[in-house]
Amino acid sequence: MAAASPSDSDGSRAESREASSKWLDAHYDPVANIHTFSACLALADLHGDGEYKLVVGDLGPGGRQPHLKVLKGPTVLTESPLPALPAAAVTFLMEQHEPRTPALALASGPCVYVYKNLRPYFKFTLPQLPPNSLEQDLWNQAKQDQIDHLTLKEMLEGIREKAEVPLSVQSLRFLQLELSEMEAFVNQHKSKSIKRQTVITTMTTLKKNLADEDAMSCLVLGTENKELLVLDPEAFTILAKMSLPGVPVFLEVSGQFDVEFRLAAACRNGNIYILRRDSRRPKYCIELSAQPVGLVRVHKVLVVGSTEDSLHGFTHKGKRLWTVPMPAAILTMNLLEQRSRGLQAVMAGLANGEVRIYHDKALLNVIRAPDAVTSLCFGRYGREDNTLVMTTRGGGLMIKILKRTAVFVEGGGEVGPPPAQATKLNVPRKTRLYVDQTLREREAGTAMHRTFQTDLYLLRLRAARAYVQALESSLSPVSATAREPLKLHAVVQGLGPTFKLTLHLQNTSTARPILGLLVCFLYNEVLYALPRAFFKVPLLVPGLDYPLETFVESLSDKGISDIIKVLVLREGQSAPLLSAHINMPVSEGLAAA
Amino acid sequence: MCNTPEFPILEKQNWLIHLHYIRKDYEACKAVIKEQLQETQGLCEYAIYVQALIFRLEGNIQESLELFQTCAILSPQCADNLKQVARSLFLLGKHKAAIEVYNEAAKLNQKDWEICHNLGVCYIYLKQFNKAQDQLHNALHLNRHDLTYIMLGKIHLLEGNLDKAIEIYKKAVEFSPENTELLTTLGLLYLQLGIYQKAFEHLGNALTYDPTNYKAILAAGSMMQTHGDFDVALTKYRVVASAVPESPPLWNNIGMCFFGKKKYVAAISCLKRANYLAPFDWKILYNLGLVHLTMQQYASAFHFLSAAINFQPKMGELYMLLAVALTNLEDTENAKRAYAEAVRLDKCNPLVNLNYAVLLYNQGEKRGALAQYQEMEKKVNLLKDSSSLEFDSEMVEMAQKLGAALQVGEALVWTKPVKDPKSKHRSTSASKAANFPQPLGSNQALGQAMSSAAAYRKPPSGAGGTSQLTKPPSLPLEPEPTVEAHPTEASAQIREK
Repeated sequence: MAAASPSDSDGSRAESREASSKWLDAHYDPVANIHTFSACLALADLHGDGEYKLVVGDLGPGGRQPHLKVLKGPTVLTESPLPALPAAAVTFLMEQHEPRTPALALASGPCVYVYKNLRPYFKFTLPQLPPNSLEQDLWNQAKQDQIDHLTLKEMLEGIREKAEVPLSVQSLRFLQLELSEMEAFVNQHKSKSIKRQTVITTMTTLKKNLADEDAMSCLVLGTENKELLVLDPEAFTILAKMSLPGVPVFLEVSGQFDVEFRLAAACRNGNIYILRRDSRRPKYCIELSAQPVGLVRVHKVLVVGSTEDSLHGFTHKGKRLWTVPMPAAILTMNLLEQRSRGLQAVMAGLANGEVRIYHDKALLNVIRAPDAVTSLCFGRYGREDNTLVMTTRGGGLMIKILKRTAVFVEGGGEVGPPPAQATKLNVPRKTRLYVDQTLREREAGTAMHRTFQTDLYLLRLRAARAYVQALESSLSPVSATAREPLKLHAVVQGLGPTFKLTLHLQNTSTARPILGLLVCFLYNEVLYALPRAFFKVPLLVPGLDYPLETFVESLSDKGISDIIKVLVLREGQSAPLLSAHINMPVSEGLAAA
Repeated sequence: MCNTPEFPILEKQNWLIHLHYIRKDYEACKAVIKEQLQETQGLCEYAIYVQALIFRLEGNIQESLELFQTCAILSPQCADNLKQVARSLFLLGKHKAAIEVYNEAAKLNQKDWEICHNLGVCYIYLKQFNKAQDQLHNALHLNRHDLTYIMLGKIHLLEGNLDKAIEIYKKAVEFSPENTELLTTLGLLYLQLGIYQKAFEHLGNALTYDPTNYKAILAAGSMMQTHGDFDVALTKYRVVASAVPESPPLWNNIGMCFFGKKKYVAAISCLKRANYLAPFDWKILYNLGLVHLTMQQYASAFHFLSAAINFQPKMGELYMLLAVALTNLEDTENAKRAYAEAVRLDKCNPLVNLNYAVLLYNQGEKRGALAQYQEMEKKVNLLKDSSSLEFDSEMVEMAQKLGAALQVGEALVWTKPVKDPKSKHRSTSASKAANFPQPLGSNQALGQAMSSAAAYRKPPSGAGGTSQLTKPPSLPLEPEPTVEAHPTEASAQIREK
């Protein structure tokens, strides 16, 4: 159904038919009101009844009403409001004993909410960060009124400038205050101990000690203060802590915590860091030249989508293997794993509404959705093994089932020369007239050439004459004399009968100012009246534009307009330096009246 | 959760801002930023940072600069903020200020390739190429990126050092063999040096990875034209025509393809479109002039050629073509002057002298004709020594006839030089000719076309004295090779952009 989205070219229609042959459209609700990211989608058998549910950490429209939604088939099973926006949702097994129902963990703000059987079970809060000791001392002194506010402010500023450990919110807020507000602020807050709290940015799971599918998993958290934490699934204690050079955005883990694991973290500084079990600091670093928008591990290859509209493949040691350009910006990525055929592939949702499925560099399949897909999740849903859940930018929910007979073949996408190669060149046509003219030119080329040359010379002669005449009578608006290089242009504003005439006079010499210039207007006194027809120009500094304004009153009521001549003169000389003719507009004000 | 409700966690929604930002959903991003900044009273550094990034993407560089400076105040120890301040300064064209800030940032973070790279780019704009090279090499040392290679190659190109540039691009291609931009640039450089085999190899590779690469298609197409594969080239050009329909070099090349296929009307209309798109490109005007000469529209040819000369007054061949047009327009005086200028400017094309000699001979100035003939012999000998060029048969025939008419005695040794395989790369002594990429083994492109133009004035059956104009019935010669030289030039021109 969705594949029948408007497709204009034959090629894409054929392809969408091919796509629809692989997928069954199970459900499409364009107004499901689900706004979320791939990180907040999870599929799990939450009740242990073999019926897999879809867990959605929904941000709500505009990110205002966060909800936890659990869907069974196309219907919403439960919906409960959340205190803050969910950053990630995962399902994991937290204990060994039967029945093996997975728990649900939802990261939000500084906390992880753990649900069992969809009931709140545990809340883990990130430990407070150690405050800056100097800052602590300062506030203690403030508490005992041993320090005045200005000194406090200065000291705190000193700490902000240099210290490794950043200030708490309380101090930062204090630094913003005006002098008058400090007193009240300090009195209000001095008794509180200063706190620094960080938040969770991303979360994933890591098998504890067994590689089985139903083995216990640890939670791996990425935090805003550039750390990675591994939590114990039973006691929720911090098993390991690793620090990164950047804030983690996406995590990808393989292996088991107790044995050996590799952790790839895509960070906000555009780099991807790879850590191993025994490393407290990153072992390898992949520097992308753009921000990563998704990180998926396919077997041993890390596939990264970047904001440069391309997918890159990297080894676990950070060596670039390949790059595939995308036709549009990547919005989200996730892993497609078809267990029955042992296939792992990457799905990428693009801004043009396509979902592309790649196995390494090879395009396997393209799904065309009616709207841009913002989150993707593939796995067992209900009782169907290979289900693809997609949500769209407009809040729609789409569920597709991979046909059991479907086999992804490499080259299922675009191959061969680009389609543009088949289109004909748009060569401009020539008319009969053109051909006739060509023939005429062949016959009478010499005559044409001579006529043209004669006319050209005549034209040049006339232009030269007119130019000389203009120069001789200073009719041009640009003065050519070496002593007074001047430029003049005039603007008339208004509808009439009163116009504003602005002369822009500019001294174009490089250094010399010009003094002692006069401006004179010549006009028909029957038609126009000017307050001053003759005035002095102030000293002209080189390069500046001097606007000289004057009002012109149109006296005629017959809708006649005339030319006003502007002459710029040097004191004591009768020949003008330059002149301009201003075509006055017809007075519309009078015509209307 | 938090015991001080009046102090929300500053970074609470940073992750959301970032997610919206990398998805290029800037509207949603701005909404979250606004909310976050209101809640934290402008203390959330990351929100300001992303706001500044968005401003910069929207082109409000000054605003972004101010916001980045705010960020730098909020956390002065962060090299990232300084880097962005510098980047905004750079975009505003304040390269010196940018360098200062980058140096500041470099103190905070010693091992950042990006700082070194950007410093290098700033120095390029300040034309301090040595410093730029140092910084770029530093950047490469820290971490290798395609962009750094490209910039480094650019410096060498700006300095006019093709060999070094090729060296750099070779390394770059080794490092990232699938980067089509690198492959194309390297291919074009080889093309410029006349190493056609390698050029084609690299351009072909680029096209394998990206079959719609505009530059690579144009360059490869022009090479196909060189070999006379006009239909294949035209097929390739279709891809470009749908992607970049307003490219002047593309229409120039298409026009010359049609010219090669002797579809002159189509050639003219394509070239005119190219000329409409790039009215100041003398190569297009040159080709237009040539096609019009072929069409015997001498008056039009005169206009195109004189326009071309106005843009490129240093090329002998252009004056020669103009002279041919003028001769046909029966303006012998000016034709002679044009020839004189052509002879003065040209150093190695024997055709110029030959055509001049023919004109002088037809005018009855035997002495002048003889002088030009001897000049031509000199050039021919020089060319024979320095390269394995074959001379156009038409030209040879013409010269022999003229020689007979002038009674120069022994016919010049026009014997086609034996092709010796290793001299396919032109030696440096043919310095002027080096400006024209030559097709493998075939002869000088321009020469042939011009000889065809000159052939109109051929004294019938070598019977000397008849100075009257004989109208040729049609064009006996094949002017294709002209096509070859020019498209290649055109594609080389693209690279310079």
